[in-house]
Amino acid sequence: MNKNFFEVKNVDFNINNKTKVRNVTFSIENQGDVICLLGPSGIGKTTILRTIAGLEKIKKGSIILNGKTLSSEEINLEPEDRNISLAFQDNSLFPHYIVEKNILLGSERNKEKKDKKISLDEIVELLDISKILNKYPHEISAGEAQRASLARSLIMQPDLLLLDEPLSNVDQSFKEEIQVRLKKILNKLKITTIIVTHDSYEAFYLGSKCGIILNQELKQFDDPYKVYHFPNSVEVVNFLNRGILIPAKVTGKNTLENLDLGTIEGNFIKEYPEGSDVKLLLQPEDLEHDDSSNLKLEVVDRKFRGTNFIYTLKTSSNTLIPVFVHSHHIHQHEVDEKFGIKRPIHIDHIVCF
Amino acid sequence: MRINFWYISSFIISLFVIIPILTVFSSFFESTSNYYQVLKDTFLMEYISNSLILLVSVLILTFLIGTGSAYLVSFFNFPFSNFFKWALILSFAVPPYIYAYSLTAFFENYGTAYTILKNLFGEGNYNQSIPKFDGLLGAVLSISFSLYAYVYILARASFLYQSQNIIDLGKNLGFTKFKALYSIILPAARPAIVAGLSLVAMETLAEFGAVDFFSINTLTTGIYNSWIAFDDLAFANRLSFFLLLFIFALFILENLSRKNAKYHFNTKAGFKQKEKIQLLGKKGFLAFSFCFLIFFLSFLFPLSQMMYWTIKFPENLFDLNALDLLINTLYLVTLSSLMLIIFGLISNYGNRVNKNKTLNILSTLSISGYAIPGVILAVAFITFVAWFDNNLVKNLGFVSIKKVFIGSILGLVLVYFVRFYSLAYNGIKSGYEKINISVDESSYLLGYSKRKTFMNIHIPFLRNSLLFVGILVSLEIIRELPITLILRPFNFETFATTAYISASEDLLEAAAVPSLFLILIATFFIIVTSKYILRDNNE
Repeated sequence: MNKNFFEVKNVDFNINNKTKVRNVTFSIENQGDVICLLGPSGIGKTTILRTIAGLEKIKKGSIILNGKTLSSEEINLEPEDRNISLAFQDNSLFPHYIVEKNILLGSERNKEKKDKKISLDEIVELLDISKILNKYPHEISAGEAQRASLARSLIMQPDLLLLDEPLSNVDQSFKEEIQVRLKKILNKLKITTIIVTHDSYEAFYLGSKCGIILNQELKQFDDPYKVYHFPNSVEVVNFLNRGILIPAKVTGKNTLENLDLGTIEGNFIKEYPEGSDVKLLLQPEDLEHDDSSNLKLEVVDRKFRGTNFIYTLKTSSNTLIPVFVHSHHIHQHEVDEKFGIKRPIHIDHIVCF
Repeated sequence: MRINFWYISSFIISLFVIIPILTVFSSFFESTSNYYQVLKDTFLMEYISNSLILLVSVLILTFLIGTGSAYLVSFFNFPFSNFFKWALILSFAVPPYIYAYSLTAFFENYGTAYTILKNLFGEGNYNQSIPKFDGLLGAVLSISFSLYAYVYILARASFLYQSQNIIDLGKNLGFTKFKALYSIILPAARPAIVAGLSLVAMETLAEFGAVDFFSINTLTTGIYNSWIAFDDLAFANRLSFFLLLFIFALFILENLSRKNAKYHFNTKAGFKQKEKIQLLGKKGFLAFSFCFLIFFLSFLFPLSQMMYWTIKFPENLFDLNALDLLINTLYLVTLSSLMLIIFGLISNYGNRVNKNKTLNILSTLSISGYAIPGVILAVAFITFVAWFDNNLVKNLGFVSIKKVFIGSILGLVLVYFVRFYSLAYNGIKSGYEKINISVDESSYLLGYSKRKTFMNIHIPFLRNSLLFVGILVSLEIIRELPITLILRPFNFETFATTAYISASEDLLEAAAVPSLFLILIATFFIIVTSKYILRDNNE
């Protein structure tokens, strides 16, 4: 037997008798690990969390926490008996209690088990909710409600914490700070957590592993670096909006040939026989700007993204290629101007499909 | 499907409430005495036509009064408009039969009107020149002035949610005030007005006290008389069947229009608070006069008439054992509202946690009790107990249970329960709808069981709704007449029955004291709940 802390094995996730995600298998190895599930809206991420929490039943597969089966075709442990906390995306605070009381309700659970690793004050400080403690849920903003709800889940110190888009209503300016604090506290408390989000950067930052859910399937489940750099399918590439796929021919152990860009060298992730036609994943950071290069492409668009510019370049075969240029780069190129690309093109990890 | 405590209890509660309806329908196919034949040839048509005339007249009058006053207080500022806003619902404190007593007391020969004229102009033969409001006209006025508040409350709520935007739109199109009322405001409020009128219609068809007092034969009084005078339960049930057909048609109408109404109320986005138009001078005076007239006629007039008689014949005050009546009334009110609230809560929660179709249909049917006249419910209850007793209990060799249920507090409270169950169920439901389902789920995830969620989360949250429902139910029970009359234990009287009995013995002066008590208690309850009834914002 393996010793994963949490396991989902071959589960079909259903809501209202409709299967949302099929045949899902993934696991969390150690207690305290944080994983993220990533996917577009409406794909069934919430259904997965609800099912793990015991609010929905399964007809196939099994869900196991700490060696104990929570859900399977025959078994369905009631939500109140699971010691799993779910922080809902919408406001699920008890409307007739002030925020403080709402949070304290969470601390009633597991009282005996806890060695008081976190106090109310700490959590309040951490999530910056001291101003709303004496308010009723209808008196606070959606972002505040979300943080209060998060506080309630955290203070409960459950065996498994499920966060459904925990920061979707939090102001953008404050979001990153909260992400940092959240990561810190999850680390400190060693709470095993599954976070659902549609924000890939949030997922990559918070999760030690990321699952990508697309088209009713868990497409990839891996650490963020691998998901980012080695997407395992065209769908994942498209979802992460990582770059473009251009046609290329494998010309050697470490080389490819593209009609517009010429020779491209680097290390293949997967081996392809020489001469095979593939689609090469070209990411904006793969190409380097070089005014002296003889490979010149036409600029069709330039987006300022703060730390960098994204130039969109048109090749002679009308393919549009994105290229990052640091915004401190001395000179800029206007639309319709020519833009040099450094040759030979070197890509560290060559991802092809 | 999971069978659990909540499912079973909701199921049983709903089933119990449906029994009277089933009884009425099943007894239609039973044989009856000859009296039926006699009546079919002679009186039945009269019953039906009287019921219809009454219904149509009351609907027209309540529409005009209710919508008119609601329009004025919702769209205009005029002297005392804020006072009339809630004063106009005080008419609920005066049940139609008490209004009927007041009308008669004032206009009868040598009545209060005569006394006033005599004091002003000296002795004279005024009786001929004083109009008489009795018979059908008296009944129409009594019922209308007591019930128009249903239309007023719902129309006002709907006007309140109308956005300034649509009124501005009317202005932009160059509409006059009348044209705006006619082509924008009224059509937009139509579902609410229809809902109010349907309530009035049901109450009118069910009305017993006032109609009986003016000796008009309608289906409802026919049911009562065929039971009291001829002891013919089967016939009473047959009449009930006809009346129910009427009511079901109305009920469906009401439900259909309510669905639309809901659609209206939920649109909060883009809502712009209305600016009330200031009415000055003559216009302001006219608006004030209209509202004051209605307030005066519907509330001040019966109240002062009853007060006047109480003062004029103080001996009645001392004859009446008011304390006993008060205790009896409060006893019934407390017992019934507690029962209604507890079972209404359980059933609501049962429906919430078991998303089950059968249960859903059953609960929908069970709340139709409110549409069924008290007379029918009482008679159906007796029919059912008798049938149950004869066919089951006795056959199994047990002692008769009739005495336990008929002419007992238990039986009375049970029938109140059926009659007012929908009030409690819907009242609690509207409170429940404000609790997001994820609140329940959060509670489970915090480790609360279903019972604990119910006790610790729902009940505290619903506290205000429960209080409101309790008072509403109490108000209804205080005013209730036919069920109490038919099912109360021997020598057990309430303010309502005492007033009725005195009035039916032609001792109107004696009816004044219990009526006055009833009005005062009911007024107190209305004032306490007016905040909820006239909720100004969409919270």
